[in-house]
Amino acid sequence: MATPCLRSRADRVIDAAIARAFAAPYNPWRQLGALTSLALAITVASGIVAYALYDTSISGAYQSGLRLQNDPSYFGVLLRGLHRYGADAFMLLMILHLLREFLRSHYRGPRWYSWLSGVPLIWLGWLAGLTGLWLLWDSRALHSVMATAEWLQALPLVDEGLVRNFLASGALNDRFFSLVMFLHIGVPLFLIGGLWAHLQRIHLPAVWPRRAAGVGLLLTLGVVSLLAPAQSLGMADPHFVPKAISLDWFFQLPHVLTDSLSGAGTWAVAGGLTLLCASLPWLDRGRRKPAPARVELIHCNGCSRCAADCPFGAIRMVPRTDGGMHAQQAAVDDELCVACGICVGACPSSTPFRRIEDLVSGIELPEQPIGRLRQTLREVLKSRAPGSMVLVCRCRHSPGGSQAPDPSMLSIEVECLGMLPPSFLDFALRQGLAGAVLAGCEGGNCEFRLGDRWTLDRIAGRRAPRLRRNVARERIISLARQDDEASIRNAVDELLRHPMHDQPGDAR
Amino acid sequence: MPESGTRPLPFPARVALQCLVLGGFAAFIGVFSAKPAYPLRGENDAIVKLSFTHAAQLQHPCRERNAEELKKLAPNMRTQLDCPRQRAVVRFEMEMDGKPAYRLELPPGGLRKDGPATVYRRAMVAAGTHRIAARLSDKPSGEFNHSKEAVVDLKPGQVLLVDFIPAEGGFIFTKE
Repeated sequence: MATPCLRSRADRVIDAAIARAFAAPYNPWRQLGALTSLALAITVASGIVAYALYDTSISGAYQSGLRLQNDPSYFGVLLRGLHRYGADAFMLLMILHLLREFLRSHYRGPRWYSWLSGVPLIWLGWLAGLTGLWLLWDSRALHSVMATAEWLQALPLVDEGLVRNFLASGALNDRFFSLVMFLHIGVPLFLIGGLWAHLQRIHLPAVWPRRAAGVGLLLTLGVVSLLAPAQSLGMADPHFVPKAISLDWFFQLPHVLTDSLSGAGTWAVAGGLTLLCASLPWLDRGRRKPAPARVELIHCNGCSRCAADCPFGAIRMVPRTDGGMHAQQAAVDDELCVACGICVGACPSSTPFRRIEDLVSGIELPEQPIGRLRQTLREVLKSRAPGSMVLVCRCRHSPGGSQAPDPSMLSIEVECLGMLPPSFLDFALRQGLAGAVLAGCEGGNCEFRLGDRWTLDRIAGRRAPRLRRNVARERIISLARQDDEASIRNAVDELLRHPMHDQPGDAR
Repeated sequence: MPESGTRPLPFPARVALQCLVLGGFAAFIGVFSAKPAYPLRGENDAIVKLSFTHAAQLQHPCRERNAEELKKLAPNMRTQLDCPRQRAVVRFEMEMDGKPAYRLELPPGGLRKDGPATVYRRAMVAAGTHRIAARLSDKPSGEFNHSKEAVVDLKPGQVLLVDFIPAEGGFIFTKE
């Protein structure tokens, strides 16, 4: 297995290449999960209409497909294409989603549940698509049904007589298509249920892509449907095998494996890959899990902002246990906490303007206490002239080169930019820093999903805790560290070149 | 608040790249949903499929229990006849143009070995005329008691199904 460093580099290369074409919020590589659910929705919606036009009988099944593909108004062509290519896109996007999460090692720690619950969805998606191909009852469908039967017969408890149902013309009756239709509708229902379970440990999941990305996918599928209409092959004939057959490789690859490896070999490959995927969270645990966030009850006022901002739903509000004046307190579920620190950035007690000597927030990352951050700022600024230094706050997970010591930069590294309370920016500017550069993940690419979004919303005043209205926004530069340190250097120089209008202490 | 990041490309270049990414995605889906075609047989191949499911005769004949044996049984189990459920192994042989193609011993199915024996095989043969001889034994002795011989002419791609249905006279060779 490639090392995490190589894998994350591969992810960044792909992401950067696609980012050249798409602005940050629309980058499809960053919303593969959401695009997958949209592809499923397109497939299901077109399937519901197609079902109304489908005849579940031996002669009618094949004719149903032909009627759609020969529809002179092109409605049928579009409908069939959207259904077929939507299903193909679903499989492709699902595999790409899996690949991206693998490259980003998003199966470790508390993310094991989302990873593991996603594995059966591949099987369900595949089965739903395969049964759809059977409903057309052309020579591809017959080959697929027989190849699947041969594959199933390799299982110890499946009788070798299964394939007999498809060997002779009279062996099948109309009930076969009712059964396949039952599977073709039933399996996607399980798939949708599985998707619901898959998202259970994610707070505010991005179920749908950005509108522009969604429209892009729909248009793309529409164009393919019209340019390369999905077509039936010749009607299924058990007494004739064509020389070659056109396969839908997104669903029929196992048939080819069964042909070349035998049924048992295909089960070994498919089962082995499934087992490997499912056990990855335990095979590759990665570095030591950082200590989860800890609630400091004496500083927690039960405002619930941490619970609202946590990307993984690791924080719940529970009745107060210390007899304090507030009705509720935050409680962290250690099993779900990824120690991103976004809750620290959300906590109103994290403000550095508090007068207590040892600053402690209502919720803290034990390995990166917020008080240490204020201490660093104070110590460095004691010996510096106002306006001669810029605060550079870097996300530990965003890309970027090594940082060389620079007297004009006060560099701090946080687990996620969302960990930095906006009041710290206000504090830093009032202490005499020339500005602040926030170097984090680009939009939609946050390691912890919501850190970039919450940071920008807090600074823009759209989300609590808000950055005070009269803090000079032009002194804060948000920077996606997509390239190297040069972009940070440029941002710092720009802030140093333009003198501040406000003097330390005047901002209020 | 100023935002920076990846330096944006000029608009036309960005649109061209977007078309390239979406076009690549569309092409990938369009192509792999139907191509490349998968070869199922050679130019001049026909296919012979052997498939039947058949319950052989009982392995051991029924016999009468003697008084002593009956006494040992629970009252509700005291039936005169003892009929073991196990069936015989089905023996099957097939020759094509005088050469052996299959020689199979098919055990009865089921946990108690009282079910039918089942077989499925498929093989490619050259298209043309073939003499096919099949025989089957479903007796405990192994003696062949069903057979059929026929000359079949197979076109390229044609499937010959070799089936065995006793109720329809034994072996059935179907090709259309």
